[in-house]
Parts: sequence; structure tokens; C-alpha cells
Amino acid sequence: MSLIVAEDLSKSYGRVVAVDSLRLSLGEGSVTGLIGPNGAGKTTTIKMILGLLKPDKGWVKVFGQNPWDNTAIRSMIGVVYEKAFFPSHQKTLEYLQRVCRIFGVPESRAMEVLESVNLEDASDRQIKALSAGMLQKFAIAHALVHKPKLIVADEMTANLDPQARSELLDLVLQLHRDEKVAFLLSSHILPELSRVCDSVAIINRGRVWAFGKLSELYEKYAVGIIRVSTDSPEEVAAEIRKLKYVEDLRTDIRGVSVRVAEGREDQLYEDVPKLAKKVKAKILGIETGSASLEELYRLAVGAKEGGKIVGQR
Amino acid sequence: MGKGKPFLEVLSSAIHEDFRFPFLELFAFLYALGTFVLANFTVGIYSQTTTNEAVAYTVTTSLIGGSLFVFIILVLKNVAYGLGSDLEKGIIQTYFSYPLRRRGILTAKLLSALGVSLLLFLGIQISALYILAPDIVLPQFGTVILTYAANLSYPLLISAIMLLMTLILRRGGIALVVGIVLYFAMSIISGIAFVVALATESPLALQIVSVIAPSYALQYHYGGLSGIFSVTWAPTLSETLLYIGASYVIVASLFVLGYIYFSRRLNL
Repeated sequence: MSLIVAEDLSKSYGRVVAVDSLRLSLGEGSVTGLIGPNGAGKTTTIKMILGLLKPDKGWVKVFGQNPWDNTAIRSMIGVVYEKAFFPSHQKTLEYLQRVCRIFGVPESRAMEVLESVNLEDASDRQIKALSAGMLQKFAIAHALVHKPKLIVADEMTANLDPQARSELLDLVLQLHRDEKVAFLLSSHILPELSRVCDSVAIINRGRVWAFGKLSELYEKYAVGIIRVSTDSPEEVAAEIRKLKYVEDLRTDIRGVSVRVAEGREDQLYEDVPKLAKKVKAKILGIETGSASLEELYRLAVGAKEGGKIVGQR
Repeated sequence: MGKGKPFLEVLSSAIHEDFRFPFLELFAFLYALGTFVLANFTVGIYSQTTTNEAVAYTVTTSLIGGSLFVFIILVLKNVAYGLGSDLEKGIIQTYFSYPLRRRGILTAKLLSALGVSLLLFLGIQISALYILAPDIVLPQFGTVILTYAANLSYPLLISAIMLLMTLILRRGGIALVVGIVLYFAMSIISGIAFVVALATESPLALQIVSVIAPSYALQYHYGGLSGIFSVTWAPTLSETLLYIGASYVIVASLFVLGYIYFSRRLNL
């Protein structure tokens, strides 16, 4: 059964088109990432999925129903926003007990969910006294109270330090494994999504450019990616760029990611040491098929745009 | 699961925030202060009046002044600042994740912002009237109710306008400023209307003002200033009731617009 289906979904703010004829379908039990840069349309899409925004065109169905002002759907979804806001003068445990009463679940569930996010020691604290990381954990606990089938989280780690971010992602994995909760996670921080997602929707300029299981997308877009680690990425890249069989190239501080024409991987393995020697660079390693999610995103968007993006950084 | 529980819990949460310490204590004190301090001036005023209804009206009106100002401050705080900041910060989004219809959420917020404030206001006022002038108030309870209805109409109109502005602009601060301006503007507008009525020897300006602030119609019904300044407008009780009814129709229409916007149009 599809948890979320969107068809021809569109939303504009004045002249700015935020979401443009978006199509999406999310199955049960998955951890799906909605990835894209800032302004790609992720938050607007999520708000339409949650019934906070009305689409200008098209439709979205969640659990087979229109989400606008739909109380039945709210009992099946947990929501975590980028910045969590709750009535701030109430204590964490007391507020969660209130939420238990709202959803008609036993109040003992409040402590359970606080424990599941390791916030049991903060049960007597006012919500306004929680740190940013604790508040996001509290938001997850809040989303779990009624044992939802799906949690929708919009940029939930955006304001957190690396430690808190890592802990939250571990929590997502744990909840997916232990409580079989499906997730739709939006983020522009791609490496963290590759840790937890089994499928992704790549969204850019309000449209889904690629959607599917991560393995399938890597197979489709990232075949022939070779990672060259070097101490002089710029110089090596300048030489590699001259090779005719190179289709795509990207440099970063540690090296160069190169996509070559099909069947030419071995040729690059032979050429790279020679080119490095020419510019007196040291090659620290060469490996195939190690494209990051960030590279996958760029390749998928590049492929859709129908042109090579060789040389872009 | 019934709908009662989520509604009551959201209402309870909203009251917890709107009237957290020391707001409830502070405003209850201000209400009492405004009511009982002004009560000292009533004896001199109602000694000039003639009928029992007019005496009850005068006593009630003299008690209302200070408390009505406190009421409007509390409503400004709860509607413009409270609901506005809930919209700006995203607490309403959090409420939208609960199994409660949008109209239920707005009702809970309004009951907290307006309902509790109104209960406080009326509770202290009626108690004060009962303590200070039971022999006047009890036989003329209808007049007392009418006086409160007429005097509360304009503050409720301001509340409805602030609600609409808060929802549409999603900026409580602007609604707050407009609310304060509207509150003080009525004193100026009624003064201008009075001068116009004197100059033209026609009550039309006063009648227009009375549609949105029927306390003026009630004031002229019970004599008001007409004798002093020769403005010949003495609306009958039926006409006064019509003005009060019309003003509440306007107030109710604006609140209905607010509900429709919140339920069907409000994009967050």
C-alpha cells in the first residue's frame, strides 16, 4: 500500500513556483529521503503532504485520503519540523501526557517515548529550558506518542551539532528497525541521508528529478564514477579534464570524482598516474563506484538537464 | 475516540499558556482594582438619575470603565500577541498534528483568549454590583445585562478585527497596534459624531457610531448628554436593542469570516 501519493502537485508563492507538477509515491516501511538544495521545494511539498498548504494544482493523498484538515490521517502520522515549537512553559513529561490524552493512549506512553529518545532525565524540565538538540529529540518523542505508521520530518537535523545529528539519525534507524516506522525525511545535508535512507526522491526546482531505491539510482546514474584521492586536486583535475572520454568531473579538497564513458574505467586507471607525474602530484588512492549521495544528486540533476556538467564544482 | 478530549486538552494547554503565572493573578487584581476603586464615584452619579432602570444603568456603567480597559488589554495580549506568536512560531502547526479539526483548534484558542477573559471580567463585575448595590441590581438585572452587552460589543468588534488581521498577516504585532489604535479611535470618533450632531442638529452621526458601539445608543436612551447640549436623540428601548443586535451581527460576521479563513484558507 502506498503511504503517500502525489500527482501533478503544484504550488506557487506569487510569481515564484515552489513546486511544479511533482509526482511522488511512497511505500510502506521505507525510509525515504527528499533531497535537494535550499529552495528546491522540499518544505512546500511536505507542508502539502501534511495538509498545512493547499496545492494550486494536482493532488496529494496520504493513506488514500486528502490530508487537508483530516483528523484520521493525523492519528497515523508523526511530524517533526525543522524548528520544533511547543507551548514552552509546560514541562516535558506533563505535555507528553497531555498529548497521550489527546490521542487516547495510556499516559504511561509519555515516559516510554521520553526514554526512547534518552530524555527521561529531562522529564521535569520546562520545554523552554531544553537545548536545541534536546528539543529536536523531544519533537521526535512527541511524534512517537501515538505510535504512528509514518513520521514526516522536515530538515530535522538542520540546526544541530554533529554529535546531536548523529544521535538523531541513529534514533531514526532504531525506530525503523524496532517499531517498523516509515520515515519521509527531507534534508539538504546529503551525507546524513545516505546513512539512513533506503530510497530517495531527488527534488530540484519543485520537481522530482529522480526517485527510487538508492542502489537503483546509483546503478542508473553513478556507474563509471571513479574517485581519485590526491594532494593536488586542482592540478590533477585540470589534466583529467582534457581526456576525451571523461563525461563528468568534480573536485573537492581531498580529490577528484570522475565519471567516464562506459568501458573506459581501466583507461583512466592507466592515465591518472601519468597525469599526476606530469603535474608533480601525489596520488593517494583510486577507487571505483564510490559516489556520494551528493554526487548522485548532481549526476541525476545533470542527466535530467541533458547536458554534461564537466568541470563544475 | 471522541472529539471532546482533544478539544479540552488543547483548550487546557492554551489556558495554561495564556494565563500562566503571573498573568491570571495580575489581571484578576487589576479587574478588582478597576471595579472597586471606581465604585466610589457611583453615589454622586446615580443620585441625579430618575428611573430605577436609569439608576441601574448608571451604577453598572460607572463600574465598567476601568475593568473594560483591563479587559481590552487582556484580549489584546491573548489574541494579537498570543495567537499571533503561536502562528509565527509554529505552535499552531504543532496543534495541527493532533486529531482535531481546524475550527476546534480556533475555538479552543478563542475560548482561552476571549472566553476566560470575559468570565473574569463579568465574574468580578457582577460580584461587585451584588456586593455594592444589591437593592438596585437585583430588581433591574435585565438593565444590567443590557448595559454589559452594549459596552462589550465594541471591544469584541476590535477582537474580531484583530483576529482577522492576525490570521491574514500572521503578525500579531501589527494587529496589536491596530487594536490599540481602534480602541482609542472610538473616543475621538464618538466626540466628532457628537459635535457633528450638535452642528447639524441631526442625530445621524450618533446613530452611525451606535451601530458599531451601541453603548452610545444606550447612553442616549437613558438621557445621556442630550438634555445638556440640546441634541434631540432619545432612542426607544426597541431601537437601542436594534443597535445592540446590529453590532453583534457585525461582530459575529467577522468571527465567522475568521473561522472560514482559518478552516479553509489558512496556509501555514
